[in-house]
Amino acid sequence: MNAQAKITWAEKFPELGTGPIPVEPCVSPEFYAREIDKVFKRSWLKVARVEEIAKPGDFKVKKLAFADTSVILVRGKDGTVRGFHNTCSHRGNKVIVETGDETFGSSRAAVMTCRFHGWVYDAKGDLLAVPEEDKFHACFVKGENGLTPVLTDVWEGFVFIKLQDDDGVGLTDFLGGLGRHLSGFPYDQMTQCFSYYTELNCNWKVAHDAFAEAYHVATIHAGSFPNVFSSGLQNVELFGPHRTSAVCLSMDNEPTPVAKLANSLAGASLVAQRGASMLPPTVNPDRRDDFSFELSVAFPNLLLHVSEGIWFTHQFWPLAHNRTRWEGKYYVRAPQTNSQRWAIEFAQVLQRNAWLEDTATMEDTQTALESGAKSVMHLQDDEVLIRHGYHAIEQYMAAR
Amino acid sequence: MTVHFPKSFETLEAFAADWALPTQNARQGKRIRSTTGELRAFYNAVLPLLPEIMAYIDRFPLGEIPAEAKPLYHMALSLAEVAPHVELYGGDPKVPHSFDEHRFVAEHGELVN
Repeated sequence: MNAQAKITWAEKFPELGTGPIPVEPCVSPEFYAREIDKVFKRSWLKVARVEEIAKPGDFKVKKLAFADTSVILVRGKDGTVRGFHNTCSHRGNKVIVETGDETFGSSRAAVMTCRFHGWVYDAKGDLLAVPEEDKFHACFVKGENGLTPVLTDVWEGFVFIKLQDDDGVGLTDFLGGLGRHLSGFPYDQMTQCFSYYTELNCNWKVAHDAFAEAYHVATIHAGSFPNVFSSGLQNVELFGPHRTSAVCLSMDNEPTPVAKLANSLAGASLVAQRGASMLPPTVNPDRRDDFSFELSVAFPNLLLHVSEGIWFTHQFWPLAHNRTRWEGKYYVRAPQTNSQRWAIEFAQVLQRNAWLEDTATMEDTQTALESGAKSVMHLQDDEVLIRHGYHAIEQYMAAR
Repeated sequence: MTVHFPKSFETLEAFAADWALPTQNARQGKRIRSTTGELRAFYNAVLPLLPEIMAYIDRFPLGEIPAEAKPLYHMALSLAEVAPHVELYGGDPKVPHSFDEHRFVAEHGELVN
């Protein structure tokens, strides 16, 4: 047994235990199939920001490969965002032709027309027009053949969907304490978005876990963020299946020449943060001056981080037990000047490089886990968010 | 491409053909294809003039940099791309110990700045 340093989180959250974590959830196709059914199809999942479909008639189609479907998110003339399966009521063609995992479009009349035979739906999903309608048989009722709705709701400008609603838990109740914790942050003021995606040959939890601790910073980010962040977490809170913590700066880091100039022009880098003026009172409640960003996990697959003048997300979409689509988005305030635009570029490419460092381990981890050489993994106290993640999944898998 | 910079930036004209690139993808690709020596030469040439370049581009409103000043602005953006490699990665043209950059898709990567 090791001589223990200060153990904080195991004492605060004794229900999580301290034992090793089985690797089976990351490598087993059978576990994956049950996880899709019991976790992903029955949880609220973030699929868009309201700014992506800002005007009536704007729509986004999001492919949900794990559920073999795509969801149309469309803003109606009444301003409401609704979700529908992208499946025509006629013979099941896709109503909107998709060009990738995310497809965007707009209809001034706020209608969607299937290319196959020209069936027309409005933004409430109602079937408006069927060419040669009089040739259909009496059993066909236009009013009963709208698009198949998908439960859709909006929290703080984030559009969520839920594919199966056996428990009747709405989005506000699902997010619970985490939703309250992160409400009131001015997400919509950070209008400049830098967005990346890739496909990773690893389980979605391997990808999630690599981002959900600060223990790796001293090694993995020795390049991009040397001596910048503390390795531990602060202010860890658990909210049902969701979790949050603060990541802090080490405060003895001297910025490089270009970083110094960029920091003086625009606060677009995590490395330059001080103060807490736009943060909700629940985030960094003690207003510690080394606070860098809040690292929060909206169960199951969204990491949401808020900081002064910045917010960013990582999202992990399962494609198979060992394949994941990762999406990383970094939002900052729009620049006011050309030099601020330059400073944002510097901060953002450095952040991209850090994400390239983060993603570098994931496929090796998956391959090594699939070797079967190890049946468990060991977590230290400051990896408590990962421990809680497996705990939450276990509870979801057992309860339903 | 022949460019003529304002007098105080004349020393940078020689770099314009390689580094005055209008999209982030182009700047990233150029950085990956460069040698350590090329990265250092570009960095060392631009860094001393960077505060003056910032002051120069701020003479124009956001997004209204005239065509003749664009190459200088794009070179400054290239310096933002190159700086971590000189300042943090020991001159390595790639991000050390990183995921394959070609597999990382930037949805904003082809936007002309």
